[in-house]
Amino acid sequence: MITSKKITKLNVKGIGLSIVKQFIALGMVIIVMLPIILTLFAALKTKGDMVKTSPLLLPEFARITLDNFEKVLSDKYLYVGLINTTIIVVVSIICNVFLGSITAYILERFEFRFRKLVFSLFFLGMLIPTFVTEIARFKIINSLGLYNTIGAPIVIYVASDLMQLYIYRQFISKISVSLDESALLEGCGYFKVYFRIIFPLLAPATATVVVIKAITIINDMYIPYLYMPKNELRTLTTYLMTFANAQEGSWQNLAAGIIIIMIPAVLIYIFFQRYILDGISAGAVKE
Amino acid sequence: MNSMTKKRNRFIILSLMIPIILLTGFVVFPAFDLFRMSFTNWDGYSPSSNFVGIDNYISMFKNKDLWLSLRNNGIYFVAHLVFIPIELMFAVVLTSKLRGAKFYKTMVFLPYVINGVAIAYAFSYFFSPINGAFDSILEVLKLDFLSRNWLSDEKIVNFVLAFVSLWRFSGYHVVLFIAALQSVPKDILEAAKVDGADIWQVFRYVQVPSISLVVDFILFDNIRGALQVFDIPFVMTAGGPGYASSTFTLYTIKTAFTFSNFGLASTMAVAIMFIIIIVFYVQNHLLHIGKPRPTRIIRRRGVRS
Repeated sequence: MITSKKITKLNVKGIGLSIVKQFIALGMVIIVMLPIILTLFAALKTKGDMVKTSPLLLPEFARITLDNFEKVLSDKYLYVGLINTTIIVVVSIICNVFLGSITAYILERFEFRFRKLVFSLFFLGMLIPTFVTEIARFKIINSLGLYNTIGAPIVIYVASDLMQLYIYRQFISKISVSLDESALLEGCGYFKVYFRIIFPLLAPATATVVVIKAITIINDMYIPYLYMPKNELRTLTTYLMTFANAQEGSWQNLAAGIIIIMIPAVLIYIFFQRYILDGISAGAVKE
Repeated sequence: MNSMTKKRNRFIILSLMIPIILLTGFVVFPAFDLFRMSFTNWDGYSPSSNFVGIDNYISMFKNKDLWLSLRNNGIYFVAHLVFIPIELMFAVVLTSKLRGAKFYKTMVFLPYVINGVAIAYAFSYFFSPINGAFDSILEVLKLDFLSRNWLSDEKIVNFVLAFVSLWRFSGYHVVLFIAALQSVPKDILEAAKVDGADIWQVFRYVQVPSISLVVDFILFDNIRGALQVFDIPFVMTAGGPGYASSTFTLYTIKTAFTFSNFGLASTMAVAIMFIIIIVFYVQNHLLHIGKPRPTRIIRRRGVRS
């Protein structure tokens, strides 16, 4: 008798706790979704309905309009932005993956003179703040003739964002050293060992790097804004900024633009979130 | 053997050459160049500039708008600091037995991956004074007497922007906490439960110690992040009205690229770097946590392998 009573009491407590937890979690979901959903509502309204209906509600089904989306999707510069963003993302990531993985491999596996120096150099690079460095970098980009070219963001992304080193180092430290040692003994060259043995084994880490970098670069505003003011060099993000400035007060149009620009990164996140959540904590959490 | 060493060195040099040139040329050199420029009055385009000694440093310390901006950074810092326990609570809830935990984890990190500029505009709409959603919510809750110009009232604009910052970045910390909580070995948790520890005791004595490394990282990240708040005010208010919602980084960037005073702006950039390095040093050497990991070579001699 007593035991069964105890069990029901525990159960009640357990159910109560899980209800509280569900409430907390649902509250979080509402806070996260609210600004996005309300923007979507606005994007589906006509100019008149923006005034007549509450921002918290959709208009009647018959009055829902896709005109705002059409307006954004028929803008040539949206596609210019899409193409530029794609080029920047692809080229930067390819460079980041190769340079990042080989640097991490050498720093993790080789003892050599100046190793400490090289190591501190990269460490210093991670400490240097991002935005304010542009004050001095601007001059260098200018003198190399990269200003207002697509080369400016690419060279900056490849040189300055070093999170891939964390991810690769953590991963390489888990690969057995005997693997490359035996390959070297059999007479394989160093480059061959790296490309044939190490790099393929790093595939999961590479997936993480690719996904995180893609999202970071797609969403970056300041570097393309500062270095590529030319219309033909819009990225998705700077396209949205120009579009917003042209929409003075027409929230329904801007709302459609906001939703469209959000889509690429959100899609990447939803499909590949496993890789992101693995990698994002590299460097902060002990293995 | 000698040719082996030669090959090895060639491999190291060839592979590290490009990354080191890029890093030195585009990150390390500019950082040192900021230091040099901070003693000049360079305007950003003239071929030459004059050495002005510590004039820039003096005018930086006398600049009231900059101090105001730095105080605004403080608002972001405190907001995120206060939120750390809440983030930890979310992480504990999401790692516990919870139906739909996977979905909730996806949602909690979503703001972090959403385009920052897009969401800044979305919040501008949310808080807009005409037909704004936030005012409508207050109306539904019969709290409309509270409504005001959220983004142009000097007294509250920073809190609104700090709220947007919390919305965007808190998920990152939650994910870090989740990773740390999951790194606690299951058998230790089980052992604690078998020994009769309740939820609170497990949390306090088993989970908290193992997440101290992450707390350390988050504190540093918070200081660095708060000092570098830039794009939220840049897009939503441009630092306005006046300098009411300016931040240190925003003010620095404006000094350089809007007012063409690269010398003074470099001085401010040096100040930011200086603060970050001091904070890092204090945390690393005085608190004895967050030490760099031992390298593979050292660890192989260790006990565990």
